[in-house]
Amino acid sequence: MSQTLFYLLVGAGLWLLGLHGLLCLRQPLRRIMAVNIMGSGVFMVMLALAVRPDSPDPVLQALIVTGLVVAASATALALRLASADRDRAQKTAEEGE
Amino acid sequence: MNTALLSLSAPLLAALWLLLTHRRQAPVVIVASLISLVAAVFSLYQVIDAGEQSLALGGWESPLGIRLRLMPVSAMLLTFTALIHSLVGLYAWRSRHSQTRHTDYWPLSCLLHAALAALWLSHDIFNWYVTLELLGLVAVVMVCLAGPKAYGAALRYLLLSLAASLCYLLGVALLYGVYGVLDVSLLAEAARADPSTRTALMLMTVGLMLKAALWPLHLWLPAAHSSAPTAVSALLSALVVKGPLFILWLLWSRVAPEELGQAAGPWLALAGVGALLVGGWSALRAPLIKLMVAYSTVAQLGYALLALGLMLHWRELSLDAALWLFVLAHGLAKVSMFLAAGEMQSTLGSRRLDSLKGATQTMPVAMFAFAVAGGSLIGLPPSGGFLAKWLLLLPLLQNPAHWPWALGVMLGTLISAAYVFRVVAISFDRARPTSPDFNPDRFAQWLSLLPALLVWGMALISEQLILWLTGATL
Repeated sequence: MSQTLFYLLVGAGLWLLGLHGLLCLRQPLRRIMAVNIMGSGVFMVMLALAVRPDSPDPVLQALIVTGLVVAASATALALRLASADRDRAQKTAEEGE
Repeated sequence: MNTALLSLSAPLLAALWLLLTHRRQAPVVIVASLISLVAAVFSLYQVIDAGEQSLALGGWESPLGIRLRLMPVSAMLLTFTALIHSLVGLYAWRSRHSQTRHTDYWPLSCLLHAALAALWLSHDIFNWYVTLELLGLVAVVMVCLAGPKAYGAALRYLLLSLAASLCYLLGVALLYGVYGVLDVSLLAEAARADPSTRTALMLMTVGLMLKAALWPLHLWLPAAHSSAPTAVSALLSALVVKGPLFILWLLWSRVAPEELGQAAGPWLALAGVGALLVGGWSALRAPLIKLMVAYSTVAQLGYALLALGLMLHWRELSLDAALWLFVLAHGLAKVSMFLAAGEMQSTLGSRRLDSLKGATQTMPVAMFAFAVAGGSLIGLPPSGGFLAKWLLLLPLLQNPAHWPWALGVMLGTLISAAYVFRVVAISFDRARPTSPDFNPDRFAQWLSLLPALLVWGMALISEQLILWLTGATL
Protein backbone atom coordinates (compact mmCIF):
# COMPACT_ATOMS: atom_id res chain seq x y z
CA MET A 1 0.00 0.00 0.00
CA SER A 2 2.85 2.37 0.82
CA GLN A 3 4.12 1.88 -2.72
CA THR A 4 0.73 2.96 -4.12
CA LEU A 5 0.79 5.99 -1.87
CA PHE A 6 4.29 6.85 -3.08
CA TYR A 7 3.22 6.79 -6.72
CA LEU A 8 0.08 8.77 -5.92
CA LEU A 9 2.15 11.47 -4.24
CA VAL A 10 4.72 11.56 -7.04
CA GLY A 11 1.90 11.81 -9.60
CA ALA A 12 0.26 14.67 -7.71
CA GLY A 13 3.68 16.35 -7.37
CA LEU A 14 4.31 16.12 -11.14
CA TRP A 15 0.85 17.55 -11.80
CA LEU A 16 1.52 20.52 -9.52
CA LEU A 17 4.99 21.03 -11.00
CA GLY A 18 3.51 21.11 -14.51
CA LEU A 19 0.79 23.55 -13.45
CA HIS A 20 3.40 25.82 -11.86
CA GLY A 21 5.46 25.70 -15.05
CA LEU A 22 2.46 26.52 -17.23
CA LEU A 23 1.54 29.52 -15.11
CA CYS A 24 5.05 30.90 -14.60
CA LEU A 25 6.93 30.21 -17.84
CA ARG A 26 6.64 32.40 -20.92
CA GLN A 27 8.37 30.46 -23.73
CA PRO A 28 5.82 28.43 -25.73
CA LEU A 29 8.00 25.28 -25.88
CA ARG A 30 8.47 25.20 -22.13
CA ARG A 31 4.77 25.73 -21.55
CA ILE A 32 3.95 22.84 -23.89
CA MET A 33 6.37 20.65 -21.94
CA ALA A 34 4.77 21.81 -18.68
CA VAL A 35 1.36 20.65 -19.92
CA ASN A 36 2.89 17.30 -20.82
CA ILE A 37 4.34 16.96 -17.34
CA MET A 38 0.90 17.68 -15.91
CA GLY A 39 -0.47 14.92 -18.11
CA SER A 40 2.21 12.46 -16.94
CA GLY A 41 1.26 13.27 -13.36
CA VAL A 42 -2.40 12.43 -14.03
CA PHE A 43 -1.46 9.17 -15.77
CA MET A 44 0.78 8.21 -12.85
CA VAL A 45 -2.08 8.81 -10.39
CA MET A 46 -4.29 6.63 -12.60
CA LEU A 47 -1.64 3.86 -12.71
CA ALA A 48 -1.29 3.96 -8.93
CA LEU A 49 -5.07 3.72 -8.53
CA ALA A 50 -5.21 0.75 -10.93
CA VAL A 51 -3.25 -1.49 -8.55
CA ARG A 52 -5.27 -4.54 -7.51
CA PRO A 53 -4.11 -7.60 -5.52
CA ASP A 54 -4.26 -10.01 -8.50
CA SER A 55 -4.21 -8.08 -11.81
CA PRO A 56 -4.38 -4.31 -12.48
CA ASP A 57 -7.72 -2.67 -13.27
CA PRO A 58 -8.22 -2.81 -17.08
CA VAL A 59 -10.61 0.15 -17.20
CA LEU A 60 -8.02 2.59 -15.87
CA GLN A 61 -5.43 1.23 -18.28
CA ALA A 62 -7.86 1.83 -21.15
CA LEU A 63 -8.43 5.36 -19.88
CA ILE A 64 -4.68 6.01 -19.80
CA VAL A 65 -4.26 4.78 -23.38
CA THR A 66 -7.09 7.08 -24.51
CA GLY A 67 -5.56 9.94 -22.56
CA LEU A 68 -2.16 9.34 -24.15
CA VAL A 69 -3.65 9.49 -27.65
CA VAL A 70 -5.35 12.78 -26.82
CA ALA A 71 -2.18 14.18 -25.22
CA ALA A 72 0.02 13.19 -28.16
CA SER A 73 -2.26 14.76 -30.78
CA ALA A 74 -2.81 17.91 -28.73
CA THR A 75 0.96 18.28 -28.26
CA ALA A 76 1.50 17.92 -32.01
CA LEU A 77 -1.02 20.68 -32.68
CA ALA A 78 0.52 22.89 -29.99
CA LEU A 79 4.05 22.44 -31.40
CA ARG A 80 2.88 23.28 -34.92
CA LEU A 81 1.07 26.36 -33.68
CA ALA A 82 4.05 27.50 -31.62
CA SER A 83 6.44 27.20 -34.58
CA ALA A 84 3.99 28.98 -36.91
CA ASP A 85 3.62 31.77 -34.38
CA ARG A 86 7.40 32.09 -34.04
CA ASP A 87 7.78 32.30 -37.85
CA ARG A 88 5.17 35.05 -37.92
CA ALA A 89 6.93 36.97 -35.14
CA GLN A 90 10.27 36.74 -36.99
CA LYS A 91 8.65 37.90 -40.22
CA THR A 92 7.06 40.94 -38.61
CA ALA A 93 10.38 41.75 -36.89
CA GLU A 94 12.21 41.61 -40.25
CA GLU A 95 9.58 43.78 -41.91
CA GLY A 96 9.87 46.22 -39.03
CA GLU A 97 13.59 46.60 -39.66
CA MET B 1 -32.55 7.35 -29.73
CA ASN B 2 -32.00 6.51 -33.42
CA THR B 3 -32.95 10.00 -34.50
CA ALA B 4 -30.53 11.46 -31.94
CA LEU B 5 -27.78 9.24 -33.31
CA LEU B 6 -28.62 10.43 -36.83
CA SER B 7 -28.35 14.00 -35.59
CA LEU B 8 -24.84 13.16 -34.33
CA SER B 9 -23.66 11.14 -37.32
CA ALA B 10 -24.88 13.41 -40.15
CA PRO B 11 -22.29 16.16 -39.42
CA LEU B 12 -19.64 13.58 -38.56
CA LEU B 13 -20.04 11.79 -41.90
CA ALA B 14 -20.11 15.10 -43.77
CA ALA B 15 -16.85 16.12 -42.07
CA LEU B 16 -15.15 12.82 -42.90
CA TRP B 17 -16.31 13.00 -46.50
CA LEU B 18 -15.05 16.56 -46.93
CA LEU B 19 -11.72 15.67 -45.32
CA LEU B 20 -11.23 12.55 -47.43
CA THR B 21 -12.12 14.23 -50.72
CA HIS B 22 -10.24 17.48 -49.89
CA ARG B 23 -13.24 19.59 -50.77
CA ARG B 24 -14.64 22.70 -49.21
CA GLN B 25 -18.24 22.41 -50.25
CA ALA B 26 -20.53 24.61 -48.25
CA PRO B 27 -23.82 23.06 -49.48
CA VAL B 28 -22.83 19.62 -48.13
CA VAL B 29 -22.31 21.12 -44.70
CA ILE B 30 -25.58 23.03 -44.75
CA VAL B 31 -27.52 19.96 -45.88
CA ALA B 32 -25.87 17.92 -43.11
CA SER B 33 -26.82 20.57 -40.54
CA LEU B 34 -30.39 20.60 -41.80
CA ILE B 35 -30.64 16.78 -41.67
CA SER B 36 -29.24 16.95 -38.17
CA LEU B 37 -31.79 19.63 -37.26
CA VAL B 38 -34.74 17.58 -38.50
CA ALA B 39 -33.47 14.47 -36.72
CA ALA B 40 -32.95 16.45 -33.51
CA VAL B 41 -36.50 17.83 -33.67
CA PHE B 42 -37.84 14.28 -34.04
CA SER B 43 -35.75 13.13 -31.07
CA LEU B 44 -37.13 16.02 -29.05
CA TYR B 45 -40.68 14.89 -29.87
CA GLN B 46 -39.79 11.33 -28.91
CA VAL B 47 -38.38 12.41 -25.57
CA ILE B 48 -41.47 14.49 -24.82
CA ASP B 49 -43.68 11.52 -25.69
CA ALA B 50 -41.77 8.59 -24.28
CA GLY B 51 -39.37 10.04 -21.72
CA GLU B 52 -35.64 9.46 -21.34
CA GLN B 53 -33.93 6.86 -23.48
CA SER B 54 -30.52 5.30 -23.20
CA LEU B 55 -28.30 3.12 -25.33
CA ALA B 56 -25.41 0.88 -24.29
CA LEU B 57 -22.85 1.20 -27.07
CA GLY B 58 -21.91 -2.11 -28.66
CA GLY B 59 -24.21 -3.98 -26.28
CA TRP B 60 -21.81 -3.58 -23.35
CA GLU B 61 -23.65 -2.84 -20.16
CA SER B 62 -22.98 0.00 -17.77
CA PRO B 63 -19.95 -0.63 -15.56
CA LEU B 64 -17.72 -1.63 -18.47
CA GLY B 65 -19.34 -0.10 -21.55
CA ILE B 66 -20.20 3.46 -22.49
CA ARG B 67 -23.79 4.53 -22.23
CA LEU B 68 -25.39 7.28 -24.29
CA ARG B 69 -28.42 8.91 -22.80
CA LEU B 70 -31.04 11.14 -24.37
CA MET B 71 -32.53 13.38 -21.70
CA PRO B 72 -35.04 16.15 -22.48
CA VAL B 73 -32.33 18.76 -21.96
CA SER B 74 -29.90 16.97 -24.25
CA ALA B 75 -32.56 16.67 -26.97
CA MET B 76 -33.24 20.39 -26.63
CA LEU B 77 -29.53 21.18 -26.86
CA LEU B 78 -29.13 18.90 -29.90
CA THR B 79 -31.87 20.85 -31.67
CA PHE B 80 -30.38 24.16 -30.59
CA THR B 81 -26.89 23.18 -31.79
CA ALA B 82 -28.16 22.06 -35.19
CA LEU B 83 -30.23 25.25 -35.55
CA ILE B 84 -27.28 27.53 -34.76
CA HIS B 85 -25.01 25.54 -37.06
CA SER B 86 -27.48 25.81 -39.96
CA LEU B 87 -27.84 29.57 -39.47
CA VAL B 88 -24.12 30.25 -39.11
CA GLY B 89 -23.32 27.90 -42.00
CA LEU B 90 -25.75 29.79 -44.23
CA TYR B 91 -24.07 33.06 -43.22
CA ALA B 92 -20.56 31.73 -43.82
CA TRP B 93 -21.63 30.53 -47.26
CA ARG B 94 -23.65 33.49 -48.49
CA SER B 95 -21.99 36.52 -46.93
CA ARG B 96 -19.37 38.22 -49.05
CA HIS B 97 -17.63 39.41 -45.91
CA SER B 98 -17.27 36.06 -44.18
CA GLN B 99 -13.58 35.27 -44.30
CA THR B 100 -14.43 31.59 -44.07
CA ARG B 101 -15.94 30.91 -47.46
CA HIS B 102 -12.98 29.15 -49.05
CA THR B 103 -11.20 27.81 -46.01
CA ASP B 104 -11.24 24.66 -43.93
CA TYR B 105 -14.14 26.14 -41.98
CA TRP B 106 -16.50 23.59 -43.56
CA PRO B 107 -15.13 20.26 -42.32
CA LEU B 108 -14.15 21.88 -39.01
CA SER B 109 -17.62 23.25 -38.30
CA CYS B 110 -19.04 19.78 -38.95
CA LEU B 111 -16.55 18.25 -36.53
CA LEU B 112 -17.48 20.87 -33.95
CA HIS B 113 -21.15 20.03 -34.41
CA ALA B 114 -20.47 16.30 -34.00
CA ALA B 115 -18.32 16.87 -30.89
CA LEU B 116 -21.06 18.96 -29.29
CA ALA B 117 -23.75 16.40 -30.13
CA ALA B 118 -21.57 13.66 -28.59
CA LEU B 119 -21.13 15.78 -25.48
CA TRP B 120 -24.89 16.33 -25.04
CA LEU B 121 -25.54 12.59 -25.44
CA SER B 122 -22.72 11.26 -23.22
CA HIS B 123 -23.54 10.17 -19.72
CA ASP B 124 -20.15 9.09 -18.53
CA ILE B 125 -17.51 11.29 -16.85
CA PHE B 126 -14.61 9.96 -18.93
CA ASN B 127 -16.50 10.23 -22.20
CA TRP B 128 -17.10 13.86 -21.32
CA TYR B 129 -13.33 14.30 -21.05
CA VAL B 130 -12.91 12.93 -24.56
CA THR B 131 -15.67 15.12 -26.01
CA LEU B 132 -14.26 18.16 -24.17
CA GLU B 133 -10.88 17.54 -25.78
CA LEU B 134 -12.46 17.12 -29.22
CA LEU B 135 -14.35 20.35 -28.72
CA GLY B 136 -11.26 22.21 -27.50
CA LEU B 137 -8.98 21.04 -30.31
CA VAL B 138 -11.51 21.83 -33.05
CA ALA B 139 -12.22 25.23 -31.51
CA VAL B 140 -8.51 26.09 -31.44
CA VAL B 141 -8.03 25.15 -35.08
CA MET B 142 -11.09 27.21 -36.00
CA VAL B 143 -9.62 30.27 -34.26
CA CYS B 144 -6.50 29.76 -36.44
CA LEU B 145 -8.64 30.21 -39.58
CA ALA B 146 -8.34 33.96 -39.04
CA GLY B 147 -4.73 33.74 -40.22
CA PRO B 148 -1.28 34.16 -38.64
CA LYS B 149 -2.41 37.07 -36.45
CA ALA B 150 -4.60 34.72 -34.43
CA TYR B 151 -1.91 32.09 -33.78
CA GLY B 152 -0.76 33.60 -30.51
CA ALA B 153 -4.28 33.76 -29.09
CA ALA B 154 -4.97 30.23 -30.38
CA LEU B 155 -1.86 28.81 -28.71
CA ARG B 156 -2.75 30.37 -25.37
CA TYR B 157 -6.30 29.04 -25.74
CA LEU B 158 -4.96 25.55 -26.53
CA LEU B 159 -2.56 25.41 -23.57
CA LEU B 160 -5.14 26.66 -21.08
CA SER B 161 -7.74 24.30 -22.50
CA LEU B 162 -5.31 21.36 -22.13
CA ALA B 163 -4.49 22.32 -18.55
CA ALA B 164 -8.20 22.57 -17.80
CA SER B 165 -8.81 19.11 -19.27
CA LEU B 166 -6.02 17.64 -17.16
CA CYS B 167 -7.50 19.25 -14.07
CA TYR B 168 -10.81 17.63 -14.95
CA LEU B 169 -9.11 14.30 -15.75
CA LEU B 170 -7.39 14.20 -12.36
CA GLY B 171 -10.83 14.63 -10.77
CA VAL B 172 -12.18 11.78 -12.94
CA ALA B 173 -9.28 9.55 -11.86
CA LEU B 174 -9.95 10.27 -8.18
CA LEU B 175 -13.68 9.59 -8.53
CA TYR B 176 -12.98 6.31 -10.31
CA GLY B 177 -10.41 5.41 -7.65
CA VAL B 178 -13.00 5.90 -4.92
CA TYR B 179 -16.14 4.44 -6.51
CA GLY B 180 -14.91 2.28 -9.38
CA VAL B 181 -17.57 3.54 -11.85
CA LEU B 182 -17.65 6.19 -14.55
CA ASP B 183 -21.34 6.21 -15.45
CA VAL B 184 -23.12 9.29 -14.14
CA SER B 185 -26.22 7.49 -12.81
CA LEU B 186 -24.18 4.82 -11.01
CA LEU B 187 -21.90 7.48 -9.60
CA ALA B 188 -24.88 9.48 -8.37
CA GLU B 189 -26.13 6.48 -6.39
CA ALA B 190 -22.73 5.77 -4.87
CA ALA B 191 -21.46 9.27 -4.13
CA ARG B 192 -20.76 10.15 -0.50
CA ALA B 193 -19.62 13.45 0.96
CA ASP B 194 -16.05 12.44 1.88
CA PRO B 195 -12.82 14.43 1.43
CA SER B 196 -11.69 12.62 -1.73
CA THR B 197 -15.05 13.22 -3.46
CA ARG B 198 -14.84 16.86 -2.43
CA THR B 199 -11.31 17.19 -3.87
CA ALA B 200 -12.33 15.44 -7.08
CA LEU B 201 -15.39 17.66 -7.53
CA MET B 202 -13.30 20.75 -6.85
CA LEU B 203 -10.69 19.78 -9.45
CA MET B 204 -13.37 19.00 -12.03
CA THR B 205 -15.16 22.27 -11.30
CA VAL B 206 -12.00 24.35 -11.70
CA GLY B 207 -11.24 22.60 -15.01
CA LEU B 208 -14.76 23.11 -16.32
CA MET B 209 -14.90 26.73 -15.19
CA LEU B 210 -11.68 27.41 -17.05
CA LYS B 211 -13.09 25.74 -20.16
CA ALA B 212 -16.39 27.60 -19.94
CA ALA B 213 -14.55 30.89 -19.27
CA LEU B 214 -16.46 31.47 -16.05
CA TRP B 215 -15.13 34.32 -13.94
CA PRO B 216 -12.36 34.47 -12.56
CA LEU B 217 -10.98 31.99 -15.11
CA HIS B 218 -12.23 33.86 -18.19
CA LEU B 219 -9.07 35.68 -19.24
CA TRP B 220 -8.41 33.63 -22.38
CA LEU B 221 -11.89 34.10 -23.87
CA PRO B 222 -11.96 37.70 -25.14
CA ALA B 223 -8.72 37.37 -27.14
CA ALA B 224 -9.65 33.98 -28.64
CA HIS B 225 -13.26 34.86 -29.47
CA SER B 226 -12.56 38.29 -30.89
CA SER B 227 -9.61 37.26 -33.06
CA ALA B 228 -11.52 34.40 -34.76
CA PRO B 229 -13.41 34.93 -38.04
CA THR B 230 -16.98 36.16 -37.55
CA ALA B 231 -18.76 32.85 -38.15
CA VAL B 232 -16.36 31.07 -35.79
CA SER B 233 -16.78 33.70 -33.06
CA ALA B 234 -20.54 33.18 -33.27
CA LEU B 235 -20.21 29.40 -32.88
CA LEU B 236 -17.67 29.68 -30.05
CA SER B 237 -19.73 32.13 -28.02
CA ALA B 238 -23.12 30.58 -28.67
CA LEU B 239 -22.24 26.90 -28.32
CA VAL B 240 -18.72 25.91 -27.31
CA VAL B 241 -18.69 27.52 -23.86
CA LYS B 242 -22.05 25.86 -23.13
CA GLY B 243 -20.56 22.35 -23.34
CA PRO B 244 -18.54 22.56 -20.10
CA LEU B 245 -21.46 24.37 -18.50
CA PHE B 246 -23.72 21.39 -19.28
CA ILE B 247 -21.21 19.03 -17.62
CA LEU B 248 -20.87 21.34 -14.63
CA TRP B 249 -24.64 21.37 -14.24
CA LEU B 250 -25.00 17.57 -14.43
CA LEU B 251 -22.05 17.06 -12.13
CA TRP B 252 -23.41 19.27 -9.38
CA SER B 253 -27.12 18.59 -9.75
CA ARG B 254 -26.89 14.81 -10.29
CA VAL B 255 -23.59 13.45 -9.02
CA ALA B 256 -22.59 15.64 -6.09
CA PRO B 257 -24.11 14.72 -2.71
CA GLU B 258 -26.63 17.30 -1.54
CA GLU B 259 -24.58 18.72 1.34
CA LEU B 260 -21.55 19.32 -0.89
CA GLY B 261 -23.79 21.09 -3.41
CA GLN B 262 -25.27 23.24 -0.70
CA ALA B 263 -21.81 24.26 0.50
CA ALA B 264 -20.47 24.99 -2.99
CA GLY B 265 -23.59 26.84 -4.19
CA PRO B 266 -22.83 30.28 -2.69
CA TRP B 267 -19.29 30.22 -4.09
CA LEU B 268 -20.51 29.42 -7.59
CA ALA B 269 -23.17 32.11 -7.27
CA LEU B 270 -20.56 34.62 -6.08
CA ALA B 271 -18.40 33.80 -9.09
CA GLY B 272 -21.52 34.38 -11.21
CA VAL B 273 -22.06 37.86 -9.75
CA GLY B 274 -18.33 38.55 -10.22
CA ALA B 275 -18.63 37.58 -13.88
CA LEU B 276 -21.64 39.88 -14.31
CA LEU B 277 -19.81 42.88 -12.86
CA VAL B 278 -16.28 42.34 -14.18
CA GLY B 279 -17.35 41.11 -17.63
CA GLY B 280 -19.87 43.91 -17.96
CA TRP B 281 -17.36 46.54 -16.91
CA SER B 282 -14.77 45.27 -19.39
CA ALA B 283 -17.41 45.20 -22.15
CA LEU B 284 -18.27 48.80 -21.30
CA ARG B 285 -14.64 49.85 -21.76
CA ALA B 286 -13.70 47.65 -24.74
CA PRO B 287 -12.37 49.70 -27.67
CA LEU B 288 -13.13 47.09 -30.39
CA ILE B 289 -16.55 45.93 -31.55
CA LYS B 290 -15.92 42.20 -31.34
CA LEU B 291 -13.99 42.48 -28.08
CA MET B 292 -17.02 44.13 -26.53
CA VAL B 293 -19.28 41.30 -27.72
CA ALA B 294 -16.80 38.74 -26.37
CA TYR B 295 -16.69 40.39 -22.93
CA SER B 296 -20.46 40.44 -22.91
CA THR B 297 -20.30 36.63 -23.23
CA VAL B 298 -18.23 36.54 -20.03
CA ALA B 299 -20.85 38.68 -18.30
CA GLN B 300 -23.83 36.70 -19.58
CA LEU B 301 -22.33 33.39 -18.48
CA GLY B 302 -22.45 34.91 -15.00
CA TYR B 303 -26.26 34.66 -15.00
CA ALA B 304 -26.09 30.95 -15.79
CA LEU B 305 -23.53 30.35 -13.05
CA LEU B 306 -25.58 32.41 -10.58
CA ALA B 307 -28.66 30.33 -11.39
CA LEU B 308 -26.67 27.12 -10.92
CA GLY B 309 -25.16 28.22 -7.61
CA LEU B 310 -28.46 29.38 -6.10
CA MET B 311 -30.23 26.25 -7.34
CA LEU B 312 -27.65 24.12 -5.50
CA HIS B 313 -27.82 26.22 -2.37
CA TRP B 314 -31.60 26.39 -1.98
CA ARG B 315 -32.60 23.27 -3.96
CA GLU B 316 -34.90 25.61 -5.89
CA LEU B 317 -35.56 23.59 -9.03
CA SER B 318 -37.20 26.37 -11.03
CA LEU B 319 -33.71 27.91 -11.28
CA ASP B 320 -32.67 24.99 -13.49
CA ALA B 321 -35.19 26.17 -16.06
CA ALA B 322 -33.75 29.68 -15.71
CA LEU B 323 -30.26 28.36 -16.44
CA TRP B 324 -31.28 26.64 -19.66
CA LEU B 325 -33.41 29.56 -20.80
CA PHE B 326 -30.32 31.75 -20.35
CA VAL B 327 -28.31 29.35 -22.45
CA LEU B 328 -30.89 29.39 -25.27
CA ALA B 329 -31.51 33.13 -25.17
CA HIS B 330 -27.84 34.02 -24.92
CA GLY B 331 -26.88 31.64 -27.72
CA LEU B 332 -29.40 33.09 -30.19
CA ALA B 333 -28.72 36.69 -29.21
CA LYS B 334 -24.96 36.22 -29.39
CA VAL B 335 -25.08 34.68 -32.88
CA SER B 336 -27.06 37.68 -34.03
CA MET B 337 -24.69 40.12 -32.34
CA PHE B 338 -21.51 38.56 -33.70
CA LEU B 339 -22.86 38.27 -37.25
CA ALA B 340 -24.09 41.87 -37.19
CA ALA B 341 -20.81 43.07 -35.66
CA GLY B 342 -18.79 41.16 -38.27
CA GLU B 343 -20.85 42.62 -41.12
CA MET B 344 -20.53 46.18 -39.79
CA GLN B 345 -16.84 45.76 -39.10
CA SER B 346 -16.03 44.66 -42.63
CA THR B 347 -18.43 47.05 -44.37
CA LEU B 348 -17.29 50.08 -42.38
CA GLY B 349 -13.67 49.01 -42.65
CA SER B 350 -12.60 49.30 -39.03
CA ARG B 351 -12.61 47.10 -35.96
CA ARG B 352 -13.00 50.04 -33.60
CA LEU B 353 -16.25 50.83 -31.84
CA ASP B 354 -16.15 54.54 -32.74
CA SER B 355 -16.27 53.59 -36.42
CA LEU B 356 -19.94 52.69 -35.86
CA LYS B 357 -20.83 56.40 -35.99
CA GLY B 358 -23.95 56.84 -38.05
CA ALA B 359 -24.45 53.09 -38.50
CA THR B 360 -28.20 53.50 -37.93
CA GLN B 361 -28.23 55.44 -41.17
CA THR B 362 -25.65 53.62 -43.23
CA MET B 363 -26.35 50.02 -42.12
CA PRO B 364 -29.82 50.09 -40.55
CA VAL B 365 -30.55 46.37 -40.73
CA ALA B 366 -27.31 45.17 -39.12
CA MET B 367 -27.52 47.85 -36.45
CA PHE B 368 -31.15 46.93 -35.78
CA ALA B 369 -30.13 43.27 -35.38
CA PHE B 370 -27.38 44.31 -32.97
CA ALA B 371 -29.75 46.42 -30.89
CA VAL B 372 -32.53 43.81 -30.85
CA ALA B 373 -30.10 41.12 -29.74
CA GLY B 374 -28.74 43.55 -27.16
CA GLY B 375 -32.28 44.03 -25.86
CA SER B 376 -32.46 40.34 -25.08
CA LEU B 377 -29.05 40.43 -23.38
CA ILE B 378 -30.27 43.28 -21.16
CA GLY B 379 -33.45 41.32 -20.51
CA LEU B 380 -36.05 43.71 -21.91
CA PRO B 381 -39.50 42.13 -21.93
CA PRO B 382 -40.77 40.12 -23.75
CA SER B 383 -37.48 38.70 -25.05
CA GLY B 384 -36.01 35.30 -24.17
CA GLY B 385 -33.46 37.02 -21.96
CA PHE B 386 -36.31 38.57 -19.99
CA LEU B 387 -38.00 35.19 -19.44
CA ALA B 388 -34.79 33.74 -18.06
CA LYS B 389 -34.13 36.71 -15.83
CA TRP B 390 -37.70 36.68 -14.56
CA LEU B 391 -37.40 33.02 -13.56
CA LEU B 392 -34.12 33.82 -11.82
CA LEU B 393 -35.52 36.85 -10.00
CA LEU B 394 -38.81 35.31 -8.81
CA PRO B 395 -37.32 33.24 -5.95
CA LEU B 396 -35.00 36.13 -5.11
CA LEU B 397 -37.83 38.62 -4.78
CA GLN B 398 -40.14 36.32 -2.84
CA ASN B 399 -37.83 36.18 0.16
CA PRO B 400 -36.59 39.54 1.53
CA ALA B 401 -33.45 37.87 2.92
CA HIS B 402 -32.22 37.22 -0.62
CA TRP B 403 -31.85 40.89 -1.51
CA PRO B 404 -28.02 40.83 -2.04
CA TRP B 405 -28.39 38.36 -4.92
CA ALA B 406 -31.25 40.36 -6.41
CA LEU B 407 -29.07 43.47 -6.16
CA GLY B 408 -26.29 41.61 -8.02
CA VAL B 409 -28.68 40.71 -10.85
CA MET B 410 -29.95 44.30 -11.02
CA LEU B 411 -26.42 45.72 -11.16
CA GLY B 412 -25.53 43.21 -13.88
CA THR B 413 -28.60 44.30 -15.84
CA LEU B 414 -27.64 47.93 -15.43
CA ILE B 415 -24.15 47.32 -16.77
CA SER B 416 -25.39 45.26 -19.70
CA ALA B 417 -27.86 48.04 -20.55
CA ALA B 418 -24.94 50.48 -20.38
CA TYR B 419 -22.72 48.56 -22.78
CA VAL B 420 -25.50 47.89 -25.28
CA PHE B 421 -26.73 51.49 -25.21
CA ARG B 422 -23.18 52.79 -25.56
CA VAL B 423 -22.99 51.10 -28.97
CA VAL B 424 -26.50 52.23 -29.91
CA ALA B 425 -25.69 55.81 -28.89
CA ILE B 426 -22.54 55.85 -31.02
CA SER B 427 -24.49 54.51 -33.98
CA PHE B 428 -27.06 57.33 -33.68
CA ASP B 429 -24.30 59.93 -33.86
CA ARG B 430 -25.10 60.87 -37.44
CA ALA B 431 -23.09 64.11 -37.62
CA ARG B 432 -20.02 62.58 -39.25
CA PRO B 433 -20.97 59.01 -40.21
CA THR B 434 -18.27 56.54 -41.21
CA SER B 435 -18.94 56.01 -44.90
CA PRO B 436 -19.59 52.35 -45.67
CA ASP B 437 -18.18 50.19 -48.39
CA PHE B 438 -20.33 51.12 -51.43
CA ASN B 439 -21.76 47.63 -51.77
CA PRO B 440 -23.10 46.32 -48.46
CA ASP B 441 -24.31 42.74 -48.25
CA ARG B 442 -28.06 42.98 -47.59
CA PHE B 443 -28.75 39.26 -47.34
CA ALA B 444 -26.13 38.74 -44.64
CA GLN B 445 -27.53 41.63 -42.63
CA TRP B 446 -31.05 40.22 -42.75
CA LEU B 447 -29.65 36.83 -41.82
CA SER B 448 -28.04 38.32 -38.73
CA LEU B 449 -31.43 39.70 -37.74
CA LEU B 450 -33.09 36.27 -37.84
CA PRO B 451 -31.72 34.78 -34.58
CA ALA B 452 -32.49 38.04 -32.76
CA LEU B 453 -36.10 37.79 -33.91
CA LEU B 454 -36.17 34.14 -32.82
CA VAL B 455 -35.07 35.07 -29.33
CA TRP B 456 -37.84 37.65 -29.07
CA GLY B 457 -40.21 35.08 -30.55
CA MET B 458 -39.53 32.87 -27.54
CA ALA B 459 -42.03 35.11 -25.76
CA LEU B 460 -44.85 33.63 -27.85
CA ILE B 461 -44.33 30.16 -26.43
CA SER B 462 -43.04 31.35 -23.06
CA GLU B 463 -45.58 29.56 -20.87
CA GLN B 464 -45.16 26.15 -22.51
CA LEU B 465 -41.40 26.62 -22.60
CA ILE B 466 -41.12 27.41 -18.90
CA LEU B 467 -43.48 24.63 -17.85
CA TRP B 468 -41.72 22.10 -20.04
CA LEU B 469 -38.25 23.12 -18.95
CA THR B 470 -39.24 23.02 -15.28
CA GLY B 471 -40.50 19.49 -15.80
CA ALA B 472 -37.64 18.46 -18.06
CA THR B 473 -34.80 19.42 -15.76
CA LEU B 474 -36.16 17.60 -12.69
